[in-house]
Amino acid sequence: MQKYTFILFLFAALCAPQARALQVFACEPEWGSLLHELGGDAIQVDVGTSALQDVHVIEAKPSLIAKVRRADLVVCSGADLEVGWLPQLIRQAGNPKIASGPGYFLASDQITTLEKPSKLDRSEGDIHPQGNPHFQLDPYRVLAIAKALDARLVQLDAAHATAYQQHLADFTTRWQAATKNWEAKAASLKGRKVVVHHLSWVYLLQWLGLEQIGALEPKPGVPPSSAHLAGLVEVTKSSHAFAIIRAAYQDTKPGDWLAGQTGVAAVTLPFTVGGDEQSKDLFGLFDSTIDKLLAVAK
Amino acid sequence: MNFEGLELSILGPACLAGLIVLATHVPLGQQVLARGIIFIDLAIAQVAALGVIVAQYFGMDEQGYGVEVAAAIAALAGGALLTWTDRKWPDYQEPLIGTLFVLAATGSLLLLANNPHGSEHLKDLLVGQILWVQGSQLRNIAVLSAALLALMWWQRTRLQGPLFYALFALAITASVQLVGVYLVFASLIIPALATTGMRGPRRLIAAYAIGTAGYVSGLVLSALLDLPSGAMIVWTLAGCGIMGRILLLAGGRKRGSVAASATS
Repeated sequence: MQKYTFILFLFAALCAPQARALQVFACEPEWGSLLHELGGDAIQVDVGTSALQDVHVIEAKPSLIAKVRRADLVVCSGADLEVGWLPQLIRQAGNPKIASGPGYFLASDQITTLEKPSKLDRSEGDIHPQGNPHFQLDPYRVLAIAKALDARLVQLDAAHATAYQQHLADFTTRWQAATKNWEAKAASLKGRKVVVHHLSWVYLLQWLGLEQIGALEPKPGVPPSSAHLAGLVEVTKSSHAFAIIRAAYQDTKPGDWLAGQTGVAAVTLPFTVGGDEQSKDLFGLFDSTIDKLLAVAK
Repeated sequence: MNFEGLELSILGPACLAGLIVLATHVPLGQQVLARGIIFIDLAIAQVAALGVIVAQYFGMDEQGYGVEVAAAIAALAGGALLTWTDRKWPDYQEPLIGTLFVLAATGSLLLLANNPHGSEHLKDLLVGQILWVQGSQLRNIAVLSAALLALMWWQRTRLQGPLFYALFALAITASVQLVGVYLVFASLIIPALATTGMRGPRRLIAAYAIGTAGYVSGLVLSALLDLPSGAMIVWTLAGCGIMGRILLLAGGRKRGSVAASATS
């Protein structure tokens, strides 16, 4: 009899739900990296996209649906960046935990976005009525998002609240020190002018005090007109821009063409975590971005 | 290997969508191949996309049935144009189809210069996302496919000229929005190509078997290898087409040799 009790006990012990780590799905690698900083071992993170993809449009894969299906929390940029696929993904996953409420975290809800149109008028070609969604390159907004995200982790997984709070305090200290360091390094860039590939750098430029004088592809996916390009060559030369910047996932041809026409250096920035060798986490991303800008600013 | 995506609830709706598309495209594909107008589906799909973009250009809402109607009208107009060119210059039908394709594709680009919303829709129509298929979409296209199949069966002896082009335009417009141009092309051409030389119901059954095997194995492989489903299915369709061809040839030779020995 005792033997059976023991076996039964063993069986029950094996079947008992283990203290399951919080499952989090991050739409972009920068939020995956932030979640690693805040969650540590207490959470398990799946990242939906990589730095070498255009996150406006992604291919549907079965594993994406499976990852969202088992998630307790979904963390995305928001502001319509993922509007082309996230709603379908959530609907297809049929997971009520993340469809709305605390399991659905949009970074754009935690901050103010730039370039938010005051009135909604499609004829003006505003593709992002909620403002520009590429805010991961502003360290102050990243810190604000970190605080809100940490509060959300505490809310969903109170058992690890102390750990989450400690991680946030630790991250905040390191991040604020690093931000000061980056600002000191990039001080010489203030007031300099750049041409961008797509309008995705406004937060970085505003933070560092750089000025954007033009864009190669003002409307994504639509080739620029020849009049636009002629004007861009002219203004790039006359305003003494020091760099043409593009993200790791973007085509190099337009930037190289403009570089050939004007003699201004084209530089590929990582844009998000994983965009180059050095950008292994959020700290590396900012280190690399500023190093690469400084390298062409001489 | 990656087993997490291997769930019926994830792959099931996509598989069903594939089978519905195959139902109309296998018989239509045999016609397309017989007429030698291989790129007609690309042309019609582009014309349908152009119709959507024109509708949006004139301020029609992105969602809703208006866009579907605009796509269908444009596709039918494209079909009518191709019927007319087929009568007038039958020898040049294929180059005319190619020209219509590039005109529709670049016409979209010209219109899109002032409509930043259209580009996403255009890409959706071309690449398609078979995994995002919804129940309501499946129901609509199942009804439409059943109607088209019934019409094809009823008019099976007169399936050419205006009727063929109209049926084709409607079938393509619906399926392209569901699974994208690449899969539509593959579903039309590969089963028909793999079964050339066969006739009647035997050919139809063999072509359906190849198509079904292609969709099922493609979805399973895309889950196991964690690759985009649409592109994977195009490759498994081609693989199943080649395997089916080899099996059919082997079967045909055996029967042929039996027949030869019986006559000697």
